[in-house]
Amino acid sequence: MQITSRDFKRVASRKLADPKLQKALGNAKGKLVVTRARSILELDNYEEIREASARVRDFGLQNMDVLLEEWERRAVAAGTIVHWVESGREVNAKVIEIARRHNVRKIIKSKSMLGEETNLNHELEAAGLDVRETDLGEYIIQQSGETPSHIIAPAVHKSRDDVADLFAEKHQRRRLTDIAALTHEAREILRPHFLDADMGISGANFLVAETGSTMIVTNEGNGRMTTTMPRVHVAITGVEKIIPTLEDVSMILRLLTRSATGQSISNYLSFTTGPKRPDDKDGPGEFHVIIVDAGRTKVLASDMREALRCIRCGACMNHCPVYQNIGGHAYGWVYPGPIGSILTPSYVGLENAIDLPNAATLCNQCGVVCPVKIPLPDLMRKLREKQVERGLRPWGERVGLRLWAWAAARPRIYSLLTRIGARIGRLAGGRAGLLHKLPPGGSGWTTGRDFPAPKGKTFRELYARERAGKRSGPQ
Amino acid sequence: MKVGLFVTCLVDLMRPNIGFAALRLLEAAGCDVVVPATQTCCGQPGYNSGDRIAAQALARKVVDEFDACEYIVVPSGSCSGMIRAHYPELFAELPEYRARAEAVAARTYELTDFLQNMVRLERVPGKFSGSVTYHDSCSGLREMGVKSQPRALLSKIPGLTIKEMQQPEQCCGFGGTFAVKYGDISSRIADLKCEDVQAAGADALVLGDLGCMLNIEGRLRRRNDNTPVLHVAEVLAGELPQD
Amino acid sequence: MSARENILGRIRAANGKTGAASAAEREAVAARLRTHARGPLPSMDWDPLPRFKERCIVMMSTVDQVASRSDLPAAIARYLTSNRLPLGGVCWPEFADLDWGGAGLDIAARPATGRDMVGVTGSFCAIAENGTLMLLSGEDTHATTSLLPETHIAVVPASRVVRSMEDGWDLLRREREGLPRQVNFVSGPSRTADIEMTLVMGVHGPFRVHVVVVN
Repeated sequence: MQITSRDFKRVASRKLADPKLQKALGNAKGKLVVTRARSILELDNYEEIREASARVRDFGLQNMDVLLEEWERRAVAAGTIVHWVESGREVNAKVIEIARRHNVRKIIKSKSMLGEETNLNHELEAAGLDVRETDLGEYIIQQSGETPSHIIAPAVHKSRDDVADLFAEKHQRRRLTDIAALTHEAREILRPHFLDADMGISGANFLVAETGSTMIVTNEGNGRMTTTMPRVHVAITGVEKIIPTLEDVSMILRLLTRSATGQSISNYLSFTTGPKRPDDKDGPGEFHVIIVDAGRTKVLASDMREALRCIRCGACMNHCPVYQNIGGHAYGWVYPGPIGSILTPSYVGLENAIDLPNAATLCNQCGVVCPVKIPLPDLMRKLREKQVERGLRPWGERVGLRLWAWAAARPRIYSLLTRIGARIGRLAGGRAGLLHKLPPGGSGWTTGRDFPAPKGKTFRELYARERAGKRSGPQ
Repeated sequence: MKVGLFVTCLVDLMRPNIGFAALRLLEAAGCDVVVPATQTCCGQPGYNSGDRIAAQALARKVVDEFDACEYIVVPSGSCSGMIRAHYPELFAELPEYRARAEAVAARTYELTDFLQNMVRLERVPGKFSGSVTYHDSCSGLREMGVKSQPRALLSKIPGLTIKEMQQPEQCCGFGGTFAVKYGDISSRIADLKCEDVQAAGADALVLGDLGCMLNIEGRLRRRNDNTPVLHVAEVLAGELPQD
Repeated sequence: MSARENILGRIRAANGKTGAASAAEREAVAARLRTHARGPLPSMDWDPLPRFKERCIVMMSTVDQVASRSDLPAAIARYLTSNRLPLGGVCWPEFADLDWGGAGLDIAARPATGRDMVGVTGSFCAIAENGTLMLLSGEDTHATTSLLPETHIAVVPASRVVRSMEDGWDLLRREREGLPRQVNFVSGPSRTADIEMTLVMGVHGPFRVHVVVVN
């Protein structure tokens, strides 16, 4: 996907003023937050499972190389063709190479966020291949030429009317308005492609080292189709998806589906181990897995490492007050919300995503719901520290903070400055005790709010006076 | 109990009566209170902006001022959180201060948590007749475990009833410098909090943090909403501001 | 140095490990895989069969129960008729011996194509925790039968209802040599909420799943 994170502020402002998007976001927030909370109550030992899941993910990161080798040995024994690829561009090249070798013309795709990172669809189409997204949300945005605005519900920003218009135009049919009817029309349109596609491309939610399997978590059935119907199946996956055992996956899945959509379980959990077996009547003749670095080993070596625990549930963004109000597009890349604020600068460069770690209140609504306990606000703060170290902050801000620290470290100077400030502020606030406009530097506050005025005297001066009064005794 | 009171920079500059309210409450609780005269700021603005040097300068000063105190009490979830939850990490590269900082952190309490759980205050001096709705500050709630304590203390005031808003734990949008750097997003988040406050229909909004207070009050007033916004200390101590 | 070596090398360096993995390191990981210990499970103090049926319904499947295998055609015919569904389709070979014709149904024992409207499968086992069918791909357990038709009918012997996915894996380990090409855990009809967060059943997979438990 093209990186537009530098436009964060501008896009965010536009999104705040977009009534249709605001309605869609409000609708999504209401549903996702409530259903997650309700489903978590089904687990009487939620925090225990959560802690264990974080530990499994850490074990996976700490032993990633040996686990991947264990996975590979078993995958290859089952007939899987395994490729290792270092960069996003090479992922695309490898997929195209496999497609060419198999005379592939039509490809069906089940969701892959890694594929978004590498711009896979765009490259496949440029290579003359016919690529169909099959996840309904991804299909919708593919048709409308947009990028996903959420990692689980990519078309969450679109209203039913948007989809109705889109389908009427693209399917060349009568415009429908009923959501079920629209969904079933998409089913009808995509069904023939499932049946005659040459190649299926999927992501992988997890790799299971114990069995050499890849697994995907889906609800629609497109994942099963993509991994079963075509004669070639290619799964692309980041190195960090490796999990030790089937038991570990089963445990983490209890949290993944609840954290993502409030479901106790997702409709389909599909574990694939190798291509069609000799006696199978269905399945692809060849199964390829492309293991991808694309910046992950660099993050693993950095102090952003815990972000690699992420199991892509989307709970952090669903609970983030910033994301809840601006949606995903402002973040400018594949992953929005809190996890996006950490992964985007880590993968595309700190200087290309300066706003992301700063556009947060550090409220930790995200960290509290993260099923693998990623310390999201702490990582955002660390990125802010790196920005300061690299001189990426505006000079006014850097000078202001140092002046504040200088003054506040000197109680007498601070006392004088605050006494003056309190008096000026009180005067400026007038009878109502409100400032309607703050000077430059503070105008971001007063465009939308008043600023309550100080009361005119500082606590320290009043307290000192009170103490002096006490010492000198009653008059 | 020997208590050091850290009033916070915002209370000092903007709402001194809250500092006095905290002082009165602690005295009413039988504490022996000192108020280090040179106190200024805990260093959070620098810390959250990524300037560790600036933050450490002020944090060292706080440790020097307060480490003789048996307890450090703060009428703020965010500043007490800064000390307790973040000072140990902030001093990671200053080993000579680290042990002292950890000790200070371990003895730092948010005001209502201290009064309810350490002092077990039975009676509060304040008087209030009417309903209030309570906003949980993010750091108070998620860093300092403040949730039931202010409500329990407020409930000790006869005539005061609590009407919960729909989402008391939802962030108000302040976030320190976030409020000016991303003012439009911040205002929108604040606006949703104000709608929630309005829908609760209480006589006043009560909370435990100045940042939230200024932010929510500022947005309420821009919405022509005159709902009083009060710090829990001033309600409990009966030290409501005289204007 | 191949991409594989580069990547594995960077991973080791990132984890502060020098040189190749030692035998001890490999054995520690291998032991963990061999042991495949369970993590903490939520309480499951319910009876599996009632729980399974209840959760099937929560996941929007329908549930029926028959006394014996030979009752299946009639029970399935009743289900299809009362829901005004087509009376023909395909089944897994294990059901070829049943008297479908006698119940007025035209069921062929072959994999499903895009034209088949009803698919009858068995299951490796069923998982009570969430009302889930555990289906293994194989020569006689065609993957398409539970996927392509609009109606999926799944036969579950009552003795094959286990409590959790972990129990399902243990059963698989006991009865089979390794995993088949694909293991699918199916919990109800296909669904999506991608348009305005509104739940719709019947997306790319079946519109409906009917589970028949056999005593």
